[in-house]
Amino acid sequence: MSTRLTKALEFANYRTTLNNQQSQLKAKTQSLLSYSINGGTFTIDLTLITFCKHLIDDGQTDVVLLDIYNNPIKVNVETFYEEIYSRYFEVTNDYYVEYEKLRKARKVHKVLDLNEEGK
Amino acid sequence: MFAHNNEEIDYLRLAILNAKLIQKNTGIKNITVVTDPHSLKHNEKTLGKKFIKSAINNLIVVEKDKKFKQKNIRLYKDTSHASKYLPFYNVNRCDAYDISPYDETILLDADYLILSDTLNHCWGHNNELMMNWKFQDIMYERKDPTLDRLYDMGITMYWATVVYFRKTEYVESFFNIVKHVRNNPQYYKDLYKWQGTLYRNDYSFSIAAHMMSGFVDKGIPQLPTTLYKSFDTDDIHSAVDKNTIIMYLEKPRSPGDFMLTKWQGIDLHIMNKWAINRISEELLDA
Repeated sequence: MSTRLTKALEFANYRTTLNNQQSQLKAKTQSLLSYSINGGTFTIDLTLITFCKHLIDDGQTDVVLLDIYNNPIKVNVETFYEEIYSRYFEVTNDYYVEYEKLRKARKVHKVLDLNEEGK
Repeated sequence: MFAHNNEEIDYLRLAILNAKLIQKNTGIKNITVVTDPHSLKHNEKTLGKKFIKSAINNLIVVEKDKKFKQKNIRLYKDTSHASKYLPFYNVNRCDAYDISPYDETILLDADYLILSDTLNHCWGHNNELMMNWKFQDIMYERKDPTLDRLYDMGITMYWATVVYFRKTEYVESFFNIVKHVRNNPQYYKDLYKWQGTLYRNDYSFSIAAHMMSGFVDKGIPQLPTTLYKSFDTDDIHSAVDKNTIIMYLEKPRSPGDFMLTKWQGIDLHIMNKWAINRISEELLDA
């Protein structure tokens, strides 16, 4: 096989690995952005954070929110907001660090955090 | 977990390994495993009684139904390069409701490796019964539509791989239907038209889910976590730590050719049982 073709195939393999690794990282982040309280489960996203902040600014304390199953869940909005706000940044900051590491990796073994011998 | 060895696959070893992972990654200590005298004896010899006790605090030993064992045979693969027909002993999984000593239970396959604490979201949940019909392959471009339904025009297939349940009347009825399917497989096979002769808990749980939802598809809520799975054509390269493994994934358009992936912090259903047994030492030390 010519050197050019070998290189092209190596690059294709690298791209496939990288794409899969990025999807895995996204899935892990998504899973960490799940928050359960009082028998309900919420996905922490910008809409939920903004809505809770609005409720606090509006002077609300105990409110009913619909969780991912559309079940009504009563929460104390201040403690709920504090929890989802800090968790959101904890998770997204980790995501950023991992994402940047992946973005800079130019070889399959670096994408996977392995040394050249594969260990 | 239910763990009954066959001639080749040490399911109880998988369950012990998974119990250790559960302890490390979720902090859960109350772990019940249902097994049989033969599987237990073998593992007492290989791992030691003390080690088994440190992983599983409630071990239930039952006798196997030999007739069922001889009848329920499936093809196991250790990548595309090796395969073997072996007994698939899964007949007593539907007894989980009666066997479980807990108010809230998460029923797991021994090969569903717990690499995160996501399942802790289930405790105290408003939904008394949850299981997944949605799943995702760990190689994102790989799809297998045959796993979506019991047959092409049939009901949605739920995965009995992970089931959360609370002890309530509704859930008791659900498990009664699962048992009814197990006891009358031919009738339900004709009715729901699942393919092949193999009895799978995925089928009986899916049928019970359909019936208990008032004959509505996807009526039982899903777990608050996605079910990630690999294929039995994949292999495991190594275990890095208690929540990270490196996998070989078989490329969909190039059988026998693999790519690597690092799987970290998400629970994973590993179909290649030999692969888990091969790295079990590494995972136990992680």
